[in-house]
Amino acid sequence: MHSEKKITKEDTWRTADLRRHIRENVYDGGHMRKKDDNERKHRGGESTERRHRDPEESRQDRDKLRERESTRERKDGDNRDRYAAHSSKDRGKESSQDRRGDKHRDRRDDRDRERRRQADDRENRDKRPDREETRDRERHRDKHKEKERIRDREKHTDEDRDKRREERDRNHRSERRRHEERGKERRDETENQHKEHRDRRHRDDYEDKRKEKDSQQRHGDRNHSEQKEERDFLISEYKEEHRRHREERERRHKDRGHHDEKQRHESDPRKHQELKLPDENVRYSHGERAVRDKNKERWKKEEEDVDRRYKERKHREEEGLEKIHQERTSSKKLSSDESPRHEKKEEKTEGNNDEDLAEQEYEDDFEDYEDDFDEVDASADEGENEKDSVVEDDKEKLTAQQSKEIESIQRAMAEENERAVTTQSRQSMSRKEEDGLKQPKDSEKNQIKVSKHGKFMNFVAAKQREVSKKVATKQKKRSTELLRLIDLDFSMTFPLLDLPPVSEYEMYIRNFGNANTKQAYVQCNEDNVDQDIQSEEIEVCEKWTQHPPEHIGACGDPNLSQEARDKTRSELNFDSQHLTSFLHSASQVILVLLEEDQAERKSLRNLKNQKESLSFSDGSLQLNTKLPFLLGRQISLVHFSQVQKHTMLSVHLPTAKASAVRLDSSTIICIWNIWEPSRPQKILLYESEVQCCCFSPGKSTLVFAGTSVGSVVLWDLREQTSNHYSLKIGEEEWTFRQPTFSTDAVMAGSGHFSSVTSVEVVSSTVARGLSSEVPFLASEEESSGLSFQLASLDESGVLNFWVVLELPKGNEAGSPTDLGLRPGGKVKLLHSSSLLTADRTRDASKTGQMQTLLLKFLPTDSNHFFIGTNLGLVSHGTSHGLKAPPKSYRFQEVEERPVDISSISFSPFRPHLFLVGCGDGSIRLHAVSQDQPVAEWRSATAGEPVVSLQWAQTRPAVFCVLDAASNLYIWDLLESDAQPVVTERMSADRVTAVSVFGDSGQQNTYSGVALAHESGRLELHYFTRSFTAASSAEEEKLESLLTEAV
Amino acid sequence: MQGSDAYRIRPSHQDKFKPAIVKECIREIMREQLSGVQYDPENVQELSKSLGDCIKDKVKTLGLDRYKLVVQVVIGEQRGQGVMMSLKCLWDADIDNYAEDVFKNDSLFCLVAVFGSYYY
Repeated sequence: MHSEKKITKEDTWRTADLRRHIRENVYDGGHMRKKDDNERKHRGGESTERRHRDPEESRQDRDKLRERESTRERKDGDNRDRYAAHSSKDRGKESSQDRRGDKHRDRRDDRDRERRRQADDRENRDKRPDREETRDRERHRDKHKEKERIRDREKHTDEDRDKRREERDRNHRSERRRHEERGKERRDETENQHKEHRDRRHRDDYEDKRKEKDSQQRHGDRNHSEQKEERDFLISEYKEEHRRHREERERRHKDRGHHDEKQRHESDPRKHQELKLPDENVRYSHGERAVRDKNKERWKKEEEDVDRRYKERKHREEEGLEKIHQERTSSKKLSSDESPRHEKKEEKTEGNNDEDLAEQEYEDDFEDYEDDFDEVDASADEGENEKDSVVEDDKEKLTAQQSKEIESIQRAMAEENERAVTTQSRQSMSRKEEDGLKQPKDSEKNQIKVSKHGKFMNFVAAKQREVSKKVATKQKKRSTELLRLIDLDFSMTFPLLDLPPVSEYEMYIRNFGNANTKQAYVQCNEDNVDQDIQSEEIEVCEKWTQHPPEHIGACGDPNLSQEARDKTRSELNFDSQHLTSFLHSASQVILVLLEEDQAERKSLRNLKNQKESLSFSDGSLQLNTKLPFLLGRQISLVHFSQVQKHTMLSVHLPTAKASAVRLDSSTIICIWNIWEPSRPQKILLYESEVQCCCFSPGKSTLVFAGTSVGSVVLWDLREQTSNHYSLKIGEEEWTFRQPTFSTDAVMAGSGHFSSVTSVEVVSSTVARGLSSEVPFLASEEESSGLSFQLASLDESGVLNFWVVLELPKGNEAGSPTDLGLRPGGKVKLLHSSSLLTADRTRDASKTGQMQTLLLKFLPTDSNHFFIGTNLGLVSHGTSHGLKAPPKSYRFQEVEERPVDISSISFSPFRPHLFLVGCGDGSIRLHAVSQDQPVAEWRSATAGEPVVSLQWAQTRPAVFCVLDAASNLYIWDLLESDAQPVVTERMSADRVTAVSVFGDSGQQNTYSGVALAHESGRLELHYFTRSFTAASSAEEEKLESLLTEAV
Repeated sequence: MQGSDAYRIRPSHQDKFKPAIVKECIREIMREQLSGVQYDPENVQELSKSLGDCIKDKVKTLGLDRYKLVVQVVIGEQRGQGVMMSLKCLWDADIDNYAEDVFKNDSLFCLVAVFGSYYY
């Protein structure tokens, strides 16, 4: 049991491993850390044990110690000087110096314990200090021998080691170590320390230096600024010795502990140090040289050893088995941990030559270790602790953390020791034997070899591990405590970002949607945004048009222009109506005056000429018929107005000859004023031949005409010139007036079917008057307006009566109902009645077909009409009422003859007397009341048919007759009632028509005859005075004739 | 065994991580650094780093004592793709919190989340 334990401890105590750890720590931190972890596990499991082992009473002391040490560690950099002082102090007190050995406090603690035990054991030694020195020397010698032995053995074992691997290696080493002196181990420790220092940024260099200083101080002239390793060796060597010295010092210290304490209290630490220096130097000087030699040797060996160990390590790493590692590491730890104990044991063996006993003791006392330590500490270290504290109290404030660190490191070491015990107990048996075999050899082995193995312990790693573990446990504890208080929970899922995918269209719109477009809104009429006000008002206007454009215009405006025109017209009425009427009349008067003046001068000359040619003529006037459109036309009829005696019309028949004017087929009617012979007043135009013409009663404003085609037409002379067709012939412009109204084809049913022979105005108002009340009547007619009848007689004896109507207002556009009315015309004809005048009772076979050739109304009573027939008779009829006798007027001898009645003329002075001219040349004078003639002149014209027969206007007994042979006869019944007084033969230019004119006015009585010649010449001849001036005897003559006839 | 430590396991109210304030910081910095920035795959890594640092520094000035801050920056290009991000935390809901803000312009989107975890 005892040996076994010893062996295991030796096994675990392997400096080589420690060194390797240190190297690993230096060169391969990662690997180291891994190992640390493994170790930590072990330790973690054992930490509680450790705590158990920490009795509470010892803790305080230990804490104190730790505090001091740790603070020292910390403040090494700052307190270099102090270290010197410390070291000097330490030299005085070995234990305290050991304790200052930094990381290896645990071990030192152990050592201290051991030492204490040793002290207990070797109390006797303490009591004889003199002997110690000699013993030290002996020990030195022994040590040398031992080292050599160990080296040899190591050489041997190194070879084996390759084969036997680790465990054996460890055994060897441990064996060797067992035989090594304590100082060697001590040196290892210091070496380790150096490594650590280097690792830790030379923090701990100070300690080395301090130790160097120690050695310097001890060895005086030694220069410690050599290479570090050398120094290390030296130091280690020194420390071997130093340890021995320490033991001695311990012993000494115990003796003089109290004294020292007192001294410390009194003296400055430095002084104290200095004071002690000489003693120490004296003490250590003797072993100096031998140690140095040894050191050199060892140093070489060690280098080799290092190399070798590197290889080994690599090899092991390749194997990479964790278990082995664990074992190894644990064993290393153990070895490192146990080394101090081993030293102590060696010490014991040295001291007592009984290792086994010491080991046994150790094992037995293992549990009491702490107690012992504490006790010893409390007793033995008290002094130095106090001393240290005196030195450092003010400078070093130990924190709990540091103390904990120290504590934990100690703990770890203890644990590793324990582990080593457990793990390596299995191998104990074989090792025991080996140990037994090798023990003797060990002593012979080289010291160098030994030194190799004992050099390194992984204190750095241990500490680091411890620190990190400490932190981890602390945090773990913290976390466990806190986790109870804190509830961690899973938060709900927070949506961080939700970016929905954009469709292609949206993408397009986003990129290009508003690229080239712009939306704008425009309102032109800004005030009126309503829809209803958008359109403008439509202007409506009425227009008319007319084709052909015969008057005012081709178009007009019924509303505006009509009103405007009416307005202007009314204005005109007010302003210029009187003027125009005045001008109208005045101009005529003036024109007439001018013409008269001119004509009178002419006629004066002409009259002389005419007198020569015509016996009855007092002078003559020629109307200007030499107009282009009248050229070559024969005048068929000349007619004077009964009211306006100076107004005359001439009917120019259409001519066969071609002329410049294309009016050849038309009949032209010229209205003349006899006082204005130069040109006709108005020119009327009709398409066909005109048979008969007449003026309207009263003022000669209307012209009626009966045509050969059986129509009755009328012209309104009041119409404006501008409304009619005008034709420019030569230099003068002539207006040709179309009929205002025509019955052509309009009133076919009620019109005439044969050519109209005669048209006569039926004057209603004339009925009662007899004599010369015509002007009065005329004026009356005029005032009463146009309301009279028109009678037309055709060849078949049909007598039509027409009512002449004047419209109040002419229609420019033409009348839709009165198709015969010219546009703008105001006068129209309405068919009133129709009368057949032919006597059917008469035997037609005997006398042949009777033709009605002439129509005359009784001037005093328009109810009676007289119609000349082709039978030589003048039939008498009334338009309405009873028939009046005689039925007809006949020749004197025979009742009837087939002779045309060519002319009927009522006497202007005795209206009941009328003359009838016949085709056989006979002339009859009839009274209305008798069918027998009053007088009858059978051969008045020498058998030539009478063409025209007319009473003179100024003398009642004078009448003139024109026969077909162009003879003009003038009868004066007062002079001769058997033959004409004047007979004028005009053979040169035949007279085709004659008309008598004259005015029986008071101041200007004139009378004359108008002669229309064949050539178209129109001449006016004034009668001589004898034919103009009437006498009272004439009417008597007429009366006498009447009475004669009756 | 050891004298029971008095742990501060709750920050005082004014020291708490307040998402609204942090969010303001994020928004401000994002607006400063990202407005008008076009997505550039080469620069965006740097940009996200600098943005994260900037925000972290800014949040640190808020005096969130004993808070461990984690800033996460995600910058992506906007090309019409759909993106969905969410988070789930295991934490002490009373104290720990987070703030996030999203910045978008025509070419990129940027999400910044700042987590504050209390260090007991």
